[in-house]
Amino acid sequence: MYESALNERQRRVDWLMVAAVLGLMLLGVIFIASAKMAEETARQVPWYGQFFFKQIVWCGAGLGLAGVTCVLDYRVLSRWSLVAYGLLVLCLVAVLIPGIGTTHGWGARRWIDLGPLQFQPSEFAKLGFIFALAHFLSRPRKELRQWPVFGRALGLTVLPFVLVLLEPDLGSALVLLPVGLLMMLVAGVPAAYLQRLLAGAGLLVALILIDVLFAPPGWQIKLEDYQRRRLLVYFGRDYAPPNATAAERQRLRDASSYNVRQALISVGSGGLTGKGWGRGMQSTLGYLPRSVAHNDFIFSVIAEEKGFMGSVTVIALYGVVLFSGIRTAGQARDRLGRLLAVGVVTLIFSHVFINIGMNIRLMPVTGIPLPLLSYGGSSVLCFLIAIGILQNVHIYRKSY
Amino acid sequence: MLIFDQLKRSDPSLRTLALLVLAGLGLLLAGLGYLQVFSSRHYVESQKNQSFRTVRVPAIRGQILDRDHRLLAESRPSYNLNLYLDELSKLFQQEYERQRPGRRLSRAAKERLGQQTRYTVASNLVNQVGALLGQPLRLDPERFQRHYDQSRALPMTILDNLDATNIARFLEQPGRPPGVDLEIQPLRYYPQRTTAGPLLGYLRRDETSNSDDDTFFNYRLLDFKGVVGVEAAFDQELRGKAGAKYVLVNNLGYRQAEHFFSPAEPGLNLILTIDARIQKASEDAMRASLGNNARAAVVVLNPRNGDLLALASSPSYDPNVFIPRVSVEEWRTLNDTNLNPTVNLATYGFAMPGSTFKIVTALAGLEANLLDPHEVFHSPGFSQFSRDTAPPGDYDFRRAFIKSCNTYFIHQGTNMGKARLLEMGHRFFLGERTEVPNFQEISGIFPTEAMMNQRREQGNPWRVSDTARLSIGQGDVALTPLQVALMTAAVANGGKMYWPRLAVQIETPDPLSPTVVRSFPAGRLRGNLGVAQQHLELVRAAMLADVEDRQEGTGYRAFVAGFRVCGKTGTAENKQGGRLVSKDTWFVSFAPYESPRYVVVVLVKGGGGGGVTCAPVAQKIYQAIQKLESAEPGKAGHLVQN
Repeated sequence: MYESALNERQRRVDWLMVAAVLGLMLLGVIFIASAKMAEETARQVPWYGQFFFKQIVWCGAGLGLAGVTCVLDYRVLSRWSLVAYGLLVLCLVAVLIPGIGTTHGWGARRWIDLGPLQFQPSEFAKLGFIFALAHFLSRPRKELRQWPVFGRALGLTVLPFVLVLLEPDLGSALVLLPVGLLMMLVAGVPAAYLQRLLAGAGLLVALILIDVLFAPPGWQIKLEDYQRRRLLVYFGRDYAPPNATAAERQRLRDASSYNVRQALISVGSGGLTGKGWGRGMQSTLGYLPRSVAHNDFIFSVIAEEKGFMGSVTVIALYGVVLFSGIRTAGQARDRLGRLLAVGVVTLIFSHVFINIGMNIRLMPVTGIPLPLLSYGGSSVLCFLIAIGILQNVHIYRKSY
Repeated sequence: MLIFDQLKRSDPSLRTLALLVLAGLGLLLAGLGYLQVFSSRHYVESQKNQSFRTVRVPAIRGQILDRDHRLLAESRPSYNLNLYLDELSKLFQQEYERQRPGRRLSRAAKERLGQQTRYTVASNLVNQVGALLGQPLRLDPERFQRHYDQSRALPMTILDNLDATNIARFLEQPGRPPGVDLEIQPLRYYPQRTTAGPLLGYLRRDETSNSDDDTFFNYRLLDFKGVVGVEAAFDQELRGKAGAKYVLVNNLGYRQAEHFFSPAEPGLNLILTIDARIQKASEDAMRASLGNNARAAVVVLNPRNGDLLALASSPSYDPNVFIPRVSVEEWRTLNDTNLNPTVNLATYGFAMPGSTFKIVTALAGLEANLLDPHEVFHSPGFSQFSRDTAPPGDYDFRRAFIKSCNTYFIHQGTNMGKARLLEMGHRFFLGERTEVPNFQEISGIFPTEAMMNQRREQGNPWRVSDTARLSIGQGDVALTPLQVALMTAAVANGGKMYWPRLAVQIETPDPLSPTVVRSFPAGRLRGNLGVAQQHLELVRAAMLADVEDRQEGTGYRAFVAGFRVCGKTGTAENKQGGRLVSKDTWFVSFAPYESPRYVVVVLVKGGGGGGVTCAPVAQKIYQAIQKLESAEPGKAGHLVQN
């Protein structure tokens, strides 16, 4: 005991959290295989070319990175945080430049092409942002009461937010706000400041929504067409031009709410116990669009095939990860560790809530992945590094 | 909880975070519980609606067999060439990608291009198949588009009813085009072609919903229903019970998988009392004597129990022409207003009975003791009511009957009065339906008390002249050949009026051990004439003489050596405004005289005379029967049971 107390390093990872993380990754791989099975069987893709296998590779790489992350003391890492933050901001700027960023055929410019691999800087920007903000906020509480310091913390949050918003990737941008807010709260920024900030932001959002939903076309702020549509759909309004016929209106409404409706059918028809692995009709028959079933909508695949039991399992696993993360925050040796842990927990929680909420029409559709379950290299790497950070804080926790 | 205990102590801001996370996960769980547990049923239903298509699969129609199980109608496999759209969907997409211009397209333009490329792909395939079969095939763009819009989940038939050569060509050639395959479909087939055509009736494509289907179907596969004839009367039994399958369709509406949830139950087999050989002999006899376009009918039945052995109508038709669909020309021929082949004259044709009715007049007179068969009546060769074909002279009953002396029978009829005449007619159930199950029966006309009252009210009361005309089978009387045949049977069998029987039984289609589902008893008695046997014998002897008396009998053309035929001729004149328009000619008969086993009734509409036109037809039928009986002497009784 003395030895370990003196050593300050207990060299023990939080096995409960690791188990939950492994469970989530396993579920992810299994259900990515199910979601892609119909399509890949039809196209006769060899096993090593299939999505589930690629996901396994990403998970392996991510676990490696997580291992590296948790071995190096987070205090050492955080010295580089501002550099990382700067680099990522550069990447976010670069991705907006047509020659460097690619659109993948979608509307938004989110990827940087690195030959065979594409990487999505906004995912890593979330980590860089957490590191930088934690580093910045881990100063004496007294200083945080000063307006200029608070202002700079705010600036650190708003800069990546605006850049990601410009891609445009509303979902990823919005995730940054609760993370920043909660980190500031935990760091000790006076609640009154935050309340005012929240009220201001709320007012702004309300104004934007009113503008989008009710204002005549000439008065509306410029949103990407699909963003406007998604918002309108979420609030149950149609966006047909005023001279559209009833049939056209109906068609547009059907087309726009298609994904949500299909996700709801997937989740709802799963029932208590689900239809069994590989038997989800929504993805095999292609009603759940094949392009999103394995990433943004992986949850509805699980919910259809494993039912409410499956849903509860997924949420329970996230619960384990999140609460052990909060415990790690409580046991952190210093304010930096505590803030890092809070940032990571909030990041994961925001993703889970928004993504699953989108599957059950609690939240509007935004393309943000479900941590560790959704297919996607950048996302898997980013979240495993985040888990590595949590473990790092856990390993270097207080010994009393 | 461990975490919360620690947090309480340490700091409130982390507790806020923990509560937030807890509330968020709780909210998600609540939402999921609501969706997946409480309203799951609703979403299961929505999923079904969007991805299930139910298809009605018709059952195989049961066979129709004659009394010795000779096939009259069966279902046999027919081969269709189908285009499987689900297998082509990838080709559609490739072609679309190939033809898509670089610029952005409007939605309408995309749709147009899609439609166009789909047609290009499909029609190329159809042309390839055409080349393979050595037969030019063309895909109708409108039909293709309609199929695509309305029944995308089902294969589209591009060529139906392939013959053996084409099947072989298609199967044996290498390099069959993708998405095209053979499909087997059971189709009705009548192996005896025109034989019994009007009796069996025909089928029509059935697209309507059936009352026995309680399920809703998105699609219905080709099914048929009987329109008329035996096919219609026993449609329910022959049809069986349709099955149902469902097709899983993907988001583009193409078929993904198929499952049966209830297999079709094949239809039951129907055994008729008809003897296909006698039926054919009857039709051949009409054709040989009268030609192809005579409007005529033959009824052959067993006088001992009322079993129908043949129910033939001329001109006949081949019910195969309705399968799978009737062509316009065929339909026009079948609906020719003069010939009307689809009308079975044996049950739906009627005519004034003419002199054949003298059987009734004679029996009524004999029963009333007003007709003395030996009394000699002098005929001046005409009557105040009618001409007479019989020469003037002295007539007793026998001579009057075989020379068919109108004056004699008018004398008898007016002497006994209308009441006795009508009463005897009603004992024969004349003018009443026989309930023969062929969906095509008319009751004919025979005067009743009600009819007379009606005439009186209309200021046209029944007069003696009406009675006079009725006693020689003219005027307000019109009978179907079947009614006349049953009347003849009662004379032959000693006074028993039977219900005619057409169906023996209905049995399961199991070829090895069929189970009888329903049987129809033979010899169902409808009534008794209540006429003295010696009076019937007098009539029978007179009928025998009509055929065998070569000098004076009118029916001698029906004579068959060794098979003593008894008959009566009849020629009814249809007049319009006193002018003769046409003649309906009859020959009613039974044989053999000693133990009557067959009744043969022939009606020819627009014939020359009963003896000239009809008796030879009956003769040919009896000759054929005689031949059949001698060919299987041991089974002589089998042709006609009891």
